[in-house]
Amino acid sequence: MSEQNAGRGAAPQPPPPIPTPDPRYAWPEKPVLLGTKVKRLDGPDKVTGRARYTYDINRPGMIYGRIVRSPYPHAKITSIDVTAAGKAPGVKAVLAWKDPGAEVVYQGDPVAAVAADTEDRARDAARLVRVRYEPLPHVSSEAQAMAAGAPKWHSAQENTSPGAQQETGDLAAGFQQAAHVVEATYSTHVITHVCLETHGTVCEWDGDRLTAWVTTQGVHQCAEGFARALDIPQSNVRVITQFMGGGFGSKFAPDAQGLICARLAKTANAPVKLMLDRKEEHLDTGNRPSAFAQVRAGVAGDGRLTAFDGRSWGTGGAGAVSNFPLPYLYQFPNRRRAHTNVYINAGQQRAMRAPGHPQGCFLTEILMDELADRVKMDPVEFRIRNAPPQAPNQMWIEYFTRGARQFGWEKRHPTGDPSAGPIKTGMGVSAHLWGGGGRGSHAHVDITSDGSVTVKCGTQDIGTGTRTIVTVVAAETLGLPVSAVKAEIGDTNYPLSGGSGGSTTAASVSPAIRIASINARDALFARIAPVLGTTAGDLVAEDGRIHVKTDPGKGLAWKDACKHLGPESISVDGEWAAGLSSSGTSGVQFAEVTVDVETGVVRIKRILAMQDCGLIVDRLTAESQVYGGVIAAINFALFEDRLLDRVTGQMVNPNMEWYLLAGMSDIPQIDVVLNNMPERGVIGIGEPPTVSTASAIANAVRNATGVTIRSLPLHPHKVLAAIEEQRAGGTA
Amino acid sequence: MSSRKDELSDRPEASAVSRRDFLKSTGVGGLAAAAAGASEVEAQTGPRAVGPGAVPVTLTVNGKRIDLQIEPRVTLLDALRNHANLTGNKRVCDRGSCGACTMIVDGRPVYSCSTLAIDVQGRQVRTVEGLAGDAGAMNPVQQAFCDADALMCGFCTPGFIVAATALLERTPNPTPEQIRRGLDGNICRCGTFVRIMEATVAAAAKGVRRV
Amino acid sequence: MKAFAYVNATSEKDAVAALAVDGIALPLAGGQDLLARMKDDIDTPDRVVNVKNALDASAAAAPGGGVRIGAAMKIVDLLDHAQIARMYPALIAAAGDIGTPQIRNQATVGGNINQRPRCWYFRNEEFVCYKKGGSRCFAVDGENQYHAIFGNDGPSHIVHPSSLAVPLVAYGARFRVVGSKGEREVVAADYFTMPTLQNVLKENVLDDDELLTHVILPAPGNVRSGHYEVRYKASHDWPLAFATVVLAMNGSTIQSGRVVLGAVAPVPWRSKPAEDALTGKPLNEATAAAAAEAAVSEARPMSGNAYKVQIARTTVKRAILKAAGIATV
Repeated sequence: MSEQNAGRGAAPQPPPPIPTPDPRYAWPEKPVLLGTKVKRLDGPDKVTGRARYTYDINRPGMIYGRIVRSPYPHAKITSIDVTAAGKAPGVKAVLAWKDPGAEVVYQGDPVAAVAADTEDRARDAARLVRVRYEPLPHVSSEAQAMAAGAPKWHSAQENTSPGAQQETGDLAAGFQQAAHVVEATYSTHVITHVCLETHGTVCEWDGDRLTAWVTTQGVHQCAEGFARALDIPQSNVRVITQFMGGGFGSKFAPDAQGLICARLAKTANAPVKLMLDRKEEHLDTGNRPSAFAQVRAGVAGDGRLTAFDGRSWGTGGAGAVSNFPLPYLYQFPNRRRAHTNVYINAGQQRAMRAPGHPQGCFLTEILMDELADRVKMDPVEFRIRNAPPQAPNQMWIEYFTRGARQFGWEKRHPTGDPSAGPIKTGMGVSAHLWGGGGRGSHAHVDITSDGSVTVKCGTQDIGTGTRTIVTVVAAETLGLPVSAVKAEIGDTNYPLSGGSGGSTTAASVSPAIRIASINARDALFARIAPVLGTTAGDLVAEDGRIHVKTDPGKGLAWKDACKHLGPESISVDGEWAAGLSSSGTSGVQFAEVTVDVETGVVRIKRILAMQDCGLIVDRLTAESQVYGGVIAAINFALFEDRLLDRVTGQMVNPNMEWYLLAGMSDIPQIDVVLNNMPERGVIGIGEPPTVSTASAIANAVRNATGVTIRSLPLHPHKVLAAIEEQRAGGTA
Repeated sequence: MSSRKDELSDRPEASAVSRRDFLKSTGVGGLAAAAAGASEVEAQTGPRAVGPGAVPVTLTVNGKRIDLQIEPRVTLLDALRNHANLTGNKRVCDRGSCGACTMIVDGRPVYSCSTLAIDVQGRQVRTVEGLAGDAGAMNPVQQAFCDADALMCGFCTPGFIVAATALLERTPNPTPEQIRRGLDGNICRCGTFVRIMEATVAAAAKGVRRV
Repeated sequence: MKAFAYVNATSEKDAVAALAVDGIALPLAGGQDLLARMKDDIDTPDRVVNVKNALDASAAAAPGGGVRIGAAMKIVDLLDHAQIARMYPALIAAAGDIGTPQIRNQATVGGNINQRPRCWYFRNEEFVCYKKGGSRCFAVDGENQYHAIFGNDGPSHIVHPSSLAVPLVAYGARFRVVGSKGEREVVAADYFTMPTLQNVLKENVLDDDELLTHVILPAPGNVRSGHYEVRYKASHDWPLAFATVVLAMNGSTIQSGRVVLGAVAPVPWRSKPAEDALTGKPLNEATAAAAAEAAVSEARPMSGNAYKVQIARTTVKRAILKAAGIATV
């Protein structure tokens, strides 16, 4: 999926036509609930503390697991001795996860594990596991790994491998046509997901049947992972995730901790809870890879882009790749890009909210402002000139125009705030795209004689509001209020659905629910029609009643109608089909910042986010997604940073004190303009809003100070260094 | 790169030398006493020492008495989550940096992860579970969070709700600046701050009286 | 954290006796630093002595017109003290910037003064640095963007983490200390120690069996004070640099001043060059700029923290402008 999106990022295309849906299932012309603000249905459970997350599960007889991990970024294990740990008070199981002779390749690499009757005793026992290491030379930065004669991240692997190599058009001709050329290097940094609920599992065996409460983005995917690794039938595995505390792309597989937990539980013959602590979470649950690009780009005198030549690299950690689309979005008719994957001794990357796009966007959008300056064009006007043509999935030209007006862009001074005093104000803009779209999902609907409606789907709500979306679609279809429909999700006992990633859940699940609900409704009509002396085709379900289309008086209230079902309740399935969803979204964001040029501190004043997502199912939760994506990108732009000691290679900030995340006083005014496009079907919105913001902020900082900072995060030391360099006559 | 075996030990406990460890290790009797049976109450002069093994700890939580048998090292957060099945407040950073564990002790919001359970005996502890009224109706802060959609995954939510409740109980008509400062001890990763602000303003308008 | 025996001391005498046992015993006040250190196995005491009920937790007038603050006084209660705010506004300004509401509700004056460094090498068990009995400081060749720009001649390059220590030094406070050998008073400026190979395991003169019991502030006199902090995050963050200035005035001329910088050195950093640049000068923007320049003239930054020199300069300038009542950002 990431490669597909990477390709799209570099060469956007108008969308293929959406297949016409089966008219039975098409979204309603005049929806009652779809697109309105429906309150999140699990809000009350969450705000009262009733909601039980994996971290909260307490099972009878449960004990606690704890993993022993390599403190070294690179080492060979000479021996593992669990004897002393096994004899410690309260210990019920120990295991070695790696063998002597194995090579550990990052700080945090799991080596062994224990389980004991209390958390404290498990921690005490873990410290008694004796692992002897032979430390090996390591590399902990891209530069270290790429240097001549560098140590190898793994004894049998190279430190680099070729990534995407792309070339289009005639590069030489393109540069010939250029009136101006910009040459610069841009970069973004490694960040970790910082899910507030750390990764972990509660595993409980019943013979050879495993029940696993997992904080996961994919219950079915996770079950398959357990079954395969433990070599048991998948039908023996039940994964449950009623509530989970954030994933952002890092929680799909059981991971080492899930499999270790399952094995400890088998050995101890007791349920085991194994939740990672914050330090482990930073070290071993994924990250966003870094991205560097040495770029040469040309623009003609009339402001049209002519050429782009980018040599890029990045690290995804120990043996993991780092691709991203480049150039991003804008039309460079002649372009070349060569990427190198660099490997270091650090935790491996995992998908993080819009994988590749925040990087590709930043590495292109700062360049765009630099090119615009060369031809003395306003940055918005410059982007309009070079954006792909307007199309339903490529709305940038319209969003640039409307957004600039709404933001007050005309008040922006050309470059460098001329006002007196140390506080400088500036504005910046950026644009983005994303895929989204749905794929196979199954659902089941039961209607019983008391009028209850239950919708079952093996999807999960990772905080996006899926539980509410499922309910809204079913309620809309059956003409009921949301309070009359119960959604059951988050359990592999429910029909197959995909993992929640790629902004695909709404577009996968909504059609399946729609179709299952239509099937259930039609089955109910077939049973009720004779009672009303009519045919099923004449009936409609609306406003809590079932009645004849042309004669509203001839009908029954929902509950009264269902009484006629008796013990033979309606029980039908549905499956995703094309025509109710599509893919391809676009957005534009504007930022206004202040920079204190005497301290280098950047503060954000305002963000405006223009975003589309096809058919909006629940406007309230969709807006929250946009706020969330923007704030995630504010953190990427200013604060968070995975810092490794350049000598020892170990993470110096594996906590939430020095791994900085915004708090309430760091949040600016954020305005969201959501463009409802019902004709495009459901698409998805989780990721696109986080792509652009950091670039808009960086461009705003450039506008405020008159100096260009080409790397993230925008820490005061960089701002001050750039200002100082310019003062000293440099070319910042 | 030179070997760092002397700096990086594979027995971390040998590397964690506190200043007192270092100084005491040169004193007579220091090591011997430190190695004494860990499960016995120390013989001593002066006030009585309890632990290190489990001891009776009585807490008053949400108006109810809870009797526990826990080690002195157990934090208030872990005592309630692991030993009293009160899992509303969450453990996220465990170091007083994120606020998910915020509880109210004698009217003031505190980080329960940075509080020993044994230290709050005799004090009034309120958790997120204790904010709703007798009939289970949500308090105005909880209701406002639901109305404004001031939550997403919900893991930070109990901490914010408790912090906001504590703020409004003490400062019924806060300015936006006071709300920001009052909630600056809480972090959300999903990015719900904008609506948390709206919800807290709405709850203030309704008025939050201590249940 | 390692299991420990817990003692609830109810008097100074009991607390001192409970600490003076064989084995390792540490005092527990607000717990906002100690418990985190214990969870990270930086400290592994056999015994923890609760001193919240043993030490004075309130403030009272001191003979001579000053104030005597009990070390167990919570930061939140210090902030509520109107008279202290009138007499020592810079102290209250610093207190208000400590941590978060939750931290201020439990943290104590004594705990804030005695807290250990935030240096990430000190706080992570993989790094056995000087302060943990090892033989190097990892900041020298490592990630030192938050480390010292003054006082870098010694083995350790931490910055002292206390917000209150800086205004207390600026106001000329004294600390009362009790131990098994009795009690003593230490001038605040002498309480904090520049690191040497002999004393590097600690940041102050407190002996293992001693407790800080009171902060004694002299009568302020006719002074104007100013306090300014620079932090990156506005919500909850450690300062990059901060400064307190206390200026004894003679009309509109500065008779003498105390300029103390925080988060820039292993101790609250008193700047004689800045103070010299203030003496006899009018209290205005030009003087503030000159004093700020003088304040950083002795800076010797490390490989990654030269930017802190500019920030430190700015905090001194803006603290003086605040003392002058001149609007600043």
